[in-house]
Amino acid sequence: MAVHVIQGIPVSTGVALGRAYFLNRGRARNIPRQNIPDRDVEDELQRMDQAFSQALAELEDIQGRVPAELLEHARIIDSHIMMLQDPKLLESAKTYIRNMQLNAEWALEKAVADIETVFRSIEDAYIRERIQDVRLVAGRVQQHLLGESGNSLRSINTRIILLAHDLSPADTVELEVGKIMAFATVTGGKTSHTGILARAMQIPAIVGAADLEESIQDGQLIIIDGLQGRIIVEPDEEELASFTDLKYQFEEYQAGINRSSHLPAETIDGYRVKVFANIELLEEVSSVLGNGGEGVGLYRTEYSYLNRLKLPDEEQLLEEYQDLASIMFPSKVVLRTLDVGADKFMNHFGSLDEANPALGLRAVRFCLHHMDLFRVQLRAILRASVHENISLMFPMVSGLGELRQVKSVLNSVRMELKREGVKYNPEMPVGIMIELPSAMITADILATEVDFFSIGTNDLIQYSLGIDRTNSFVSYLYQPLHPALVRMIKYVVDAGHRAGIEVSICGEMAADPYCIPVLMGMQVDCLSMNPQAVPVIKHIIRQATMEECKALLKDVLASKTVGRNNKLVKDSIFRRHPSELMFYSSLLDEGY
Amino acid sequence: METLDVVSRKVFVANELGLHARPAARLAREAQKYSARITLLSQEQEVDAKSILDLLTLALGPGCAVELKAQGEDAQAALERLEQLFLNRFEEER
Repeated sequence: MAVHVIQGIPVSTGVALGRAYFLNRGRARNIPRQNIPDRDVEDELQRMDQAFSQALAELEDIQGRVPAELLEHARIIDSHIMMLQDPKLLESAKTYIRNMQLNAEWALEKAVADIETVFRSIEDAYIRERIQDVRLVAGRVQQHLLGESGNSLRSINTRIILLAHDLSPADTVELEVGKIMAFATVTGGKTSHTGILARAMQIPAIVGAADLEESIQDGQLIIIDGLQGRIIVEPDEEELASFTDLKYQFEEYQAGINRSSHLPAETIDGYRVKVFANIELLEEVSSVLGNGGEGVGLYRTEYSYLNRLKLPDEEQLLEEYQDLASIMFPSKVVLRTLDVGADKFMNHFGSLDEANPALGLRAVRFCLHHMDLFRVQLRAILRASVHENISLMFPMVSGLGELRQVKSVLNSVRMELKREGVKYNPEMPVGIMIELPSAMITADILATEVDFFSIGTNDLIQYSLGIDRTNSFVSYLYQPLHPALVRMIKYVVDAGHRAGIEVSICGEMAADPYCIPVLMGMQVDCLSMNPQAVPVIKHIIRQATMEECKALLKDVLASKTVGRNNKLVKDSIFRRHPSELMFYSSLLDEGY
Repeated sequence: METLDVVSRKVFVANELGLHARPAARLAREAQKYSARITLLSQEQEVDAKSILDLLTLALGPGCAVELKAQGEDAQAALERLEQLFLNRFEEER
């Protein structure tokens, strides 16, 4: 048995075995707390100034030595320099020395704690997490106050697994890419720099490993299992052997699914399903084709509207859609009309104070409200439709009344083009996203007036279960296999098929290996997902049989709880897809 | 002739991740080049534009409207320059 097994959050997949190397940065431990006599105040103030300037000089030196391939990641160092120079941090620390006669180390801790309090109340998770940057900067100063030399990464001369409380971008600039086999840190979440960097370096990484510092000593042999998020300390022979196996198998597996990704997604018993990709940028097309995507099931058109000083005009949109269609030809491309809320468009339409944007003016509602904008996009899509691989899709349609409303706008734009003698494809398929419970329950009615359905599971789950998955209090209720969801999706697929139209799934469920057998059992026509997920999903389908998928679906439909469904699904993955069970952690919790 | 009038302008955060660490650093660095007192006002909270920590605590998400205020000799020039930074997303890609 290993000495310890530590669980963390995997942020970059892969496995590595090597010697642990601790980087003594981040939050310094055992900060001394002292009250100092009046006569020492001036000295403490000076010590503080000096530690700040030393830390600053260090960062400026590092900034000058950034290797070109890490330049993008290293730009954050500039923010750290600004924090060091920010009078707020330094002055607040010095105030604690002056007014409370605290020693410099403790005064700095207090100043950082004050800033943390303010940051903790920030709603925006991304900005809130920037408190990590403040801590790193303070940690560097603290090190100088404590007189620690710090073990510089530059002194490393063997290949190691880098462990740290947190890894600052400045630290990572110092490291030589070839020497690091994996990362693990105590702090950090899915958006931390460590994950981004590890994925860029293509090495495994684990963050949020709470007991790291207590459980591992420098030089110990450890395994980083970036598939399951486990760190195994001092593995025994058996564990080493299974690691070697795992590493070999993972590499084989990856090579295998990539090799076969261009093959059609057909079950062993001959049921064929289309596997498409969701993208938002033209540049992603190469990734779609490279990963074996058979079409673009969802092109998010909002990107060219956001982050622009001016709204795009018809010609710009036309060119974009035409480029996409011609690169993908003859494969299908589904253009989804603008799916944004009013909050994204304040630059152009002024601010709307909506108490609940998710239930507010968004998607087709927004477009119907801003008819000029909508018509420009429809004109561009219709004109691009002379490329006959283009389909059009409306998001968030709530019922037949609204569907007829948007279709009448589409018709009026068609008439307009006709009068002008501008060419378009009158046969262009027109579909809708099913992502509101109201659309789902009236799917049989809607199916008679559209050419296809695409079920957007992310929104359908949120609106049906009444939860915001980014809200950590309720995110545990984000349950794709809730009996309500399974019935809903099945109902929509059946309603579509009875009306003779195709039904595809384009939410994250379509990219979750564990959900695929259930969706297959429903006989969906198409699965659309992020391009990187295409190889594994195709692989799963090619290992499956329709007979088993249908039997699984039958069991799932008969079950009464999410917990039972998740178990049924995991069992089926265990039986039929052992590699996926091994290489992908399930997103499905046990549940009740 | 020095003017002590406060000049102000409404700007929007066009960056996809809001005014996060890098844009905030750009803004603070640029603001520090001017002698004018420069502040950012959002939802009744007014902070020093020359302090990156202050800017971050304002937690400006994507699309947020904010009022840029300046007072002092070079206030007008500062405003022009800083507005430009907001408009070009602080030279971030997205």
